[in-house]
Amino acid sequence: MSSATSEWVTPPTRPELIENLVSGVDRYNPSNVSILEDYLYHQIRSQEYDCLANLAILKLYQFNGDLYNPDVVINILVKALTSVPFPDFNLSVALLDDRPPAANLDEPDPLPALLPRLTVLHSLLQQCRFPVFWELYRSDDLESLRDNYTVEVVGFEDAIREVVVRAVKATFQRIRVARLASYLSLDESEVPAYVEKLGWKVDSGVVEIPPNPDNQIESSVVQENIKLPQLTKVISHAISAA
Amino acid sequence: MVDRNTGLYSCDILTHGCSTNLVSSLSATTPILELVVHPSRKGALQEFEGPPNMDLILSYYRKSQISRLHQRVCILPKAFLHPSSVLSRPHRLVQAGKKAKSITDKHIYTITMAQQRMALWAAEEIDEDLHDVDVNLALGNYGQNGLYDDAQSRISEATLLAVQQQMVQQAAFAQIPDVVKRFIVHFHNAVLEKNLAEITVAYESGWNKLTEKYYAKTEWPEAEIIAPLVNDDQLFLILYRELYYRHVYSRLQPNIDDRFHSYENSCELFNYLLNSEGPVPLELPEQWLWDIVDEFIYQFQSFCVWRAKVKTKSDEELAMLSDGAQVWSAYSVLNVLYSLIQKSRINDYILAQQEGKSEEEIAEIVGEYGVRPLYRMLGYFSLVGLLRVHVLLGDFTLALKVMENVELNQKTPFTRVTACHVATYYYVGFCYIMLRRYPDAIRAFVSILNFILRMRQYHTRSYQYDQINKTADRMYALFAICNTLSPSRLDDNIANIVKDRYSEQIGKMSRGEEGLAAFEELFQYACPKFIAANAPPYEDPDLLAAYVDAQIGEPSTRHLALFLADVRAQTAAPTLRSFLKLYASLDAAKLAGFLDADEEEMVQQLMAAKAASRCVSRVGSEKGMLEGQMISTSDLDFVVNENMVHICESTVGRRFAGWFIRNTEHAQRVYDGLHGAPLPVPKKAAAPDAAAAPAPEAKPAPAAKKVAWGAKA
Repeated sequence: MSSATSEWVTPPTRPELIENLVSGVDRYNPSNVSILEDYLYHQIRSQEYDCLANLAILKLYQFNGDLYNPDVVINILVKALTSVPFPDFNLSVALLDDRPPAANLDEPDPLPALLPRLTVLHSLLQQCRFPVFWELYRSDDLESLRDNYTVEVVGFEDAIREVVVRAVKATFQRIRVARLASYLSLDESEVPAYVEKLGWKVDSGVVEIPPNPDNQIESSVVQENIKLPQLTKVISHAISAA
Repeated sequence: MVDRNTGLYSCDILTHGCSTNLVSSLSATTPILELVVHPSRKGALQEFEGPPNMDLILSYYRKSQISRLHQRVCILPKAFLHPSSVLSRPHRLVQAGKKAKSITDKHIYTITMAQQRMALWAAEEIDEDLHDVDVNLALGNYGQNGLYDDAQSRISEATLLAVQQQMVQQAAFAQIPDVVKRFIVHFHNAVLEKNLAEITVAYESGWNKLTEKYYAKTEWPEAEIIAPLVNDDQLFLILYRELYYRHVYSRLQPNIDDRFHSYENSCELFNYLLNSEGPVPLELPEQWLWDIVDEFIYQFQSFCVWRAKVKTKSDEELAMLSDGAQVWSAYSVLNVLYSLIQKSRINDYILAQQEGKSEEEIAEIVGEYGVRPLYRMLGYFSLVGLLRVHVLLGDFTLALKVMENVELNQKTPFTRVTACHVATYYYVGFCYIMLRRYPDAIRAFVSILNFILRMRQYHTRSYQYDQINKTADRMYALFAICNTLSPSRLDDNIANIVKDRYSEQIGKMSRGEEGLAAFEELFQYACPKFIAANAPPYEDPDLLAAYVDAQIGEPSTRHLALFLADVRAQTAAPTLRSFLKLYASLDAAKLAGFLDADEEEMVQQLMAAKAASRCVSRVGSEKGMLEGQMISTSDLDFVVNENMVHICESTVGRRFAGWFIRNTEHAQRVYDGLHGAPLPVPKKAAAPDAAAAPAPEAKPAPAAKKVAWGAKA
């Protein structure tokens, strides 16, 4: 039985150099921050994702205020959005110690303005309110997020659609195309092509989702399973009495 | 000055050229028990004209070995004296029996000038004997060498202050109750002899009893003052300060000096342990080792919380904080913990143990440090310490990663220190909550809470009992939170205790949005005391002003907000489930009608509810604490087919085992009772009674037994 989190703990794409940094005490060495930052930008370009390596960057920022780079932080948070329902986003925010507005940056720090908006986006995803998510994401309010950040993250919208797919396939056996289209923020005409890649079938306006452990339900009766240790006291007493 | 309680005599003795006189005159009439010259003071003795012959002194010491116990003369370490003082002389404390006192009095000269003495002593209880004595005393040879006059001309304010301070310290020494002095000497000896049993008694019982009796509201004597009692043993003084500051933190309000000095002392201790040549020959009880690490982190956390409150700092504190940026820095704390882990090779040790390697193989693997219990335990405790520090800093994944080699069970030798055992589970459980792995958190809490319940009877008198109980109370609260978010039937016993204690909050928590306040209340009560990694910018007044203006919130606010966001994401789930429970299948439009909600939104809530019923959890043999399988956490499962919701429920079959086991045990007790009872003497009246009473109870016994055994098969 392979662990459900082993890829999260150690993504197969993680290079050895990063693995050594993440697992050793060298992760505290401020001079390694650029290696980790480069790795983050590599993830952004090549649709990879390595939560623990990104948390290591935030850890370095936490201890060394002078390393702080808001663009990197925002990119980490954007990447973490795509991992819902896993808790990566909150784990990242947990490491962002409150700080006074940094005076030494060339430009005003974009994070204080964007963090609340990213948090809202995250909670919309968490609550599976996908249509509202897309509406907000495409709103004028978030133009700066799109133009400066998510546009750089290759496949960001598809990664969010994968969040949708995870939720839909756990809950539905069949779903109307219109409804799915609103979740995926696709035109109804685009849906058949999109779901085909997933191996789902479209039949007269309804998408059929193949059976998986989560969308198959059956009632069961959980039977008590008595283990030997529960009886050791009784047995040993019986033996000593005999 | 003579302490009336103890008869201990402390005085200043002018020593230039007269130490030998003193010693010889003392020893002429009274055997010297012990004359201790600290190596650091040898040089000091040379500073004086006509330096005393050290060999002579030491030879007196040797002779005294065979003499009767009457006196003890100690020369204090340099730190005791003001370094710039021209009058800096070996300071002596003469502990004399009644008999010896009259002799020593003759040889006393107090260097303090009259007005100084009065100012100082007026505050103290003036001892009449001494008053009489020091009016006209001078040592015979002092006038001859003329040094005193010379010195007098150079007496500065600072010198006077130093002298005054010296006097204060003597006064303080004199005020130490005799029993405390004896305790310290005894404690010191136990440490020297590496007598773990004696150390444990002194540490766990003696110290606390004396604290209750004499130091419930004040500090213990400072290390410098008791130094003469322990031959100025620096290592013991470090350990003593460790206890001294811990007492200040736990009973009193530590001021900035205490905070800085306790940090310095911790550094000295760890420096000694880590940077001596090879492993140090020290042995301490496991409990104390845990307390050292635990207290180190507690003081770090306490300092961070205190440091974050800029507004309440005085000018002096601001100045000290701007200079002392390194004091209690997160890096230095992590450095200590990681160094202890590496030195002891504790991870290698744990892995080797799990692989079942032999003692010799393990000794080879862990090296010269790791084989010593002191380092091994410190290494393990540092793992738990790191777990805690990472949690306090909000790094929950790293916290669990540190522990990846540790197997959480109650069989490892590391569970012997209960406080450590409890802390481990508390922090691991809390990490799981923040990782939204509620079943794992529940398992951790149930396991340790049961352990605490079982241990309760043995721990009621332990001094850590209060702390353990407090942690347990917080874990009950966390259990209530987890059990609301992910109901489980893992342990009825704990669940019932929690229901009793938090019935009100549990009721509120299941009420969706309005229940958030109850979550907040329990979380704030039970969460660790989070800290910010960095100090406010004390070194730069402008930045500091900006920092104050920015109104930086407490770290716990942020973690609370994150936790509540998780809770909010599944607030709809309980209501939905309660409706779904009533049906086998139901149209989504109809359900939306019941809930008075928009159909599309309700369908999205269904997806959220479904997500909330899935969770990563360890199912058994996973290696690291971060590993786990996706499991279903709810009895109620549903699926949506187009617009039709199909529901089914897992039910739990009746549980028989507990009932049969209880009755089997009951039957056995009855049987044993009958078996052990004397045979009834056949009498006319008593016989029917005796036979009748046990009979109905005894009867079901064989039957129950049969079933219990049958259940196993």
